[in-house]
Amino acid sequence: MGILSILLLLPLFACLLILAIPSSYRNSYKYIALGFAFLQFLVSGYLYWQFDGSQTGINSVSGYQFVEQLPWLRLDLGSLGQLEIDYFIGIDGISMPLILLSTIVMLMAIGASWNISKSLKGYFALMMLLSTAIIGIFVALDFFLFYIFYEVMLLPLYFLIGIWGGARREYAAIKFFIYTLFGSVFMLLVMVGLYFSVINPDTGAHTFNMLHMMNPANYVDGSFFATAANSFDVFGIPARMVGFIILFIAFAIKIPIVPLHTWLPDAHVEAPTPVSIILAGILLKIGGYGIIRICYSVFPDAAVQANWWIGLIGVVSIIYGALNALAQKDLKRMIAYSSVSHMGFVTLGIASMTVEGISGAMFQMVSHGFLSAALFFMVGVIYDRVHDRYIYNFRGLATLMPKFTAYLAIAFFASLGLPGFSAFIGEAFVIIGTFNAELVGTGISRWMALAGSIGILLSAVYFLWTLQRMFFGQTRLKGGEEWAVALTDLSKREQLILFPTIALSLLLGIMPSLVFDQMNAAVVNLVALVSTHL
Amino acid sequence: MEKFEPVISETIDHIIASSGLLKPEIALAIAFLLSIISSLFFEKKFKNSTFLIAVLGFISAFILLIPQFNDPQEGFFGMIRRDDFSIYGRMLILFASLVTGFFIQQHFKHKAIKRKIADVYSILLAASFGLSLLTITTNWLLVFISIETVSIASYVLVGYLSENKKQSEAAVKYVLFGSACAAMMLYGLSLLYGFTGNLDFTSAMHIQGLISAPKILCSVAILFLFAGIGFKLSFAPFHVWSPDVYEGAPTPITAFLSTVPKIAVMILFSRLCASWFETFFYFSELTFLLLVVIAIVTMVVGNFIALRQENMKRLMAYSSIGHTGFLLMAVLAFVQGNTDVLLFYMAVYVLMNLSAFLYIDYLESKIGDANIQSFMGLGKKLPFTFVGFSLIGISLIGLPPTAGFIGKFLIFSNVFELYSESSEFAYLLLLIVGAITTVVSLFYYLKIPLYAFLKENKSDSVIKETFTFQNCLAFLFCIAVVILGIFPSLLLSLLK
Repeated sequence: MGILSILLLLPLFACLLILAIPSSYRNSYKYIALGFAFLQFLVSGYLYWQFDGSQTGINSVSGYQFVEQLPWLRLDLGSLGQLEIDYFIGIDGISMPLILLSTIVMLMAIGASWNISKSLKGYFALMMLLSTAIIGIFVALDFFLFYIFYEVMLLPLYFLIGIWGGARREYAAIKFFIYTLFGSVFMLLVMVGLYFSVINPDTGAHTFNMLHMMNPANYVDGSFFATAANSFDVFGIPARMVGFIILFIAFAIKIPIVPLHTWLPDAHVEAPTPVSIILAGILLKIGGYGIIRICYSVFPDAAVQANWWIGLIGVVSIIYGALNALAQKDLKRMIAYSSVSHMGFVTLGIASMTVEGISGAMFQMVSHGFLSAALFFMVGVIYDRVHDRYIYNFRGLATLMPKFTAYLAIAFFASLGLPGFSAFIGEAFVIIGTFNAELVGTGISRWMALAGSIGILLSAVYFLWTLQRMFFGQTRLKGGEEWAVALTDLSKREQLILFPTIALSLLLGIMPSLVFDQMNAAVVNLVALVSTHL
Repeated sequence: MEKFEPVISETIDHIIASSGLLKPEIALAIAFLLSIISSLFFEKKFKNSTFLIAVLGFISAFILLIPQFNDPQEGFFGMIRRDDFSIYGRMLILFASLVTGFFIQQHFKHKAIKRKIADVYSILLAASFGLSLLTITTNWLLVFISIETVSIASYVLVGYLSENKKQSEAAVKYVLFGSACAAMMLYGLSLLYGFTGNLDFTSAMHIQGLISAPKILCSVAILFLFAGIGFKLSFAPFHVWSPDVYEGAPTPITAFLSTVPKIAVMILFSRLCASWFETFFYFSELTFLLLVVIAIVTMVVGNFIALRQENMKRLMAYSSIGHTGFLLMAVLAFVQGNTDVLLFYMAVYVLMNLSAFLYIDYLESKIGDANIQSFMGLGKKLPFTFVGFSLIGISLIGLPPTAGFIGKFLIFSNVFELYSESSEFAYLLLLIVGAITTVVSLFYYLKIPLYAFLKENKSDSVIKETFTFQNCLAFLFCIAVVILGIFPSLLLSLLK
């Protein structure tokens, strides 16, 4: 068993262990979860250290590292041919940073779960199951395997939001589930279509192998998604474009893009703090990852044609998300909309199809991963203490909670793209990429870069305004004395969780090469793959 | 007189030679007769004698099926056709009937019923006899006879044990609807016989006759025919009886009615499609079109009405209507020689449906009714039951890692393959509707965990988990569903 399988199975093992230990030892669950999350973090850290950033990845097996391939399902289906599904996992420069990010965020989430008291067994077991599914999504190279992890991820989240969430948790949980399932059911159809269109050159059987799907030579002539002389269309749209659009929508729901974002504020607001952290820190990245790994790599020809629209969607998400964040009165909702705005940069960066743009998008995902996790954690800190997070109910918190204010101010400044912090690098690269895209001829207009900058400006407005409203001035709280007593400053545990994220943001802001080096070769390869169709 | 002598002896020889084909059915028939005798004479002395006879009947029929593999044969002048497809189908039917037998026995164990339960087993045997015949014939007459055998047995199963007004009403509705549909079907059949002079729907003569038949009359005949079959399968618009009947009948009977007849009728349908769709003539197009429309409407109607159901049994009724639509889609995409996809889905469906009803029965005995509202907050008190029940719900939606997903995936693959071969718009439409109704079904299946786990119950009623036959067997099925979801080859390689 390879190291990736160990990474994948560790939390599953923890899940079973937690289920097996009787409830009378319920206090041990969080230590088990924390222990395994830490172990997972160490393993992924080791992977990151061992990872060779010069390998290209994307569309050739030889470019992937830590590859494991075992036949999982081999079925002879008569006229449907041989069904070939592999347990095929491996990582490249696109997935490596996201895996490390996931394990860090997971560790944070477990740390944030310390005060959960309701049905501990179910809670930590589901958390661990979710962790397995997330790692599975990032390492799977077989579409079928990917799809299974993608769907399995939904169930723990449904229960985590639905059981441990806030007042409207049932509504938020089902809305989240429906949105994602709506995308993924159609993704299933595209997956089946790809399966029948692609042949494994080694065995001659149809295959779910994503890498084979990226090679135009493997497509059967006359099949539904055939790359050459494809005459299929659905409602007048060429088949490959339909496939691209469906996959894009499925993943765009996760990112989320405007107008498919409406699940996000509900899910984030109703979810308990640790789940918000996971949602913002990891789940949104799955959308971006899926678009890079599957949409753009498998349907580069369609991607090139749809490019301008995707860029536009990115711009709309940036501006619309920012304007919405400006209008929110609930702190958690404000941060949720700021996520929509920041993830818009990811969409825009991918659409630019330049090395700078895509690197920027990847970097933005990593940076937003722990910054948003930190922000949601800090909302949780306030909410835990007074069970309120309405912006206008607080004023002058700085005098009550100086340490907290300092952390929050740094996180706010980092998020709004202050130079020196990671978000600046991500957003700057996206804007540079977008600006240069016209030179390469990827179809993205220059004004989109401008719109992106306006988004950064708006984010400064809503973050600073919130900081001013809540933290500065005379202390005035809605709950009066009672709240003033309850609002104690950060505890050691909370600082222990927050400090690394802020430090990481600063570190990556100063030394972005820590991430760029690992993924550069893969990004260059991806751009090369796509730009052959320009 | 002399002229007939050689013919008679030949005929008798043929009949004797082909009687070997019917061994499992003969075993069922003998068990049926024995069970009547035992329920009349021995039931007082030996309490479970009839039940035991029924169980032995099912098991011996099952065992008799095993040596028949890989030996397709015809008998009784082409009335009976045996192939591996039918053997698997019958195995499923017998397995489900056997489980139903145990289910009935457990269900009525603690209930004071005025009537003799023993007779129910005889009727169950008769019903599975009819279903079993349905899988091995391509002759309309035999089809009609077996459908009627099943129908009459079902009327009795629903009505015999009715405990209150509602259940009697359900039975009467069922009989009225059923008889009307049977009459229509018979009329359709007589028209078909008039056109073709032959009752075997796979024969060249039959197809030739249909090709030359006048279009309007041919359409009428086929419509009448589908009315009869549609009633048994409860596809739209002949589904209106099923929710009332499912709700009114005792739970084990509902489990039987909603699962087992579907297997047999689907096998019949797939044979019909396989032999009729080949031609390019009017009746082929008509049948295809009809089936496509029916499949789509059934999926939509079943899944959308299920959204509004408050009673778990009614919900399952509509869910099974939805699944019928999905199965019809599978049948439409049925390609000769590709039986394993269909059989896999049916096998998984049997497991899921039976265990859902086992859970319903268990919960009914715990909390008194089958309303979803009363599951409120029970997840913590009955974790063993509700974890399993939720998993079954997830499998019924068709989400991984359950067998329901693999089944759905295989059927989608089948239909997609046909679509990309033929570019027929109907297949695409089926795929889209299948996908959308999957999302819709999420809403109502998730009501189980929604009420059990997500909603909280303030009242402190004392409900404690007990391990009964129902929830243990259901949990076993549940494990099977998950294992088949991760390793579907376990079953699929068997079905090859």
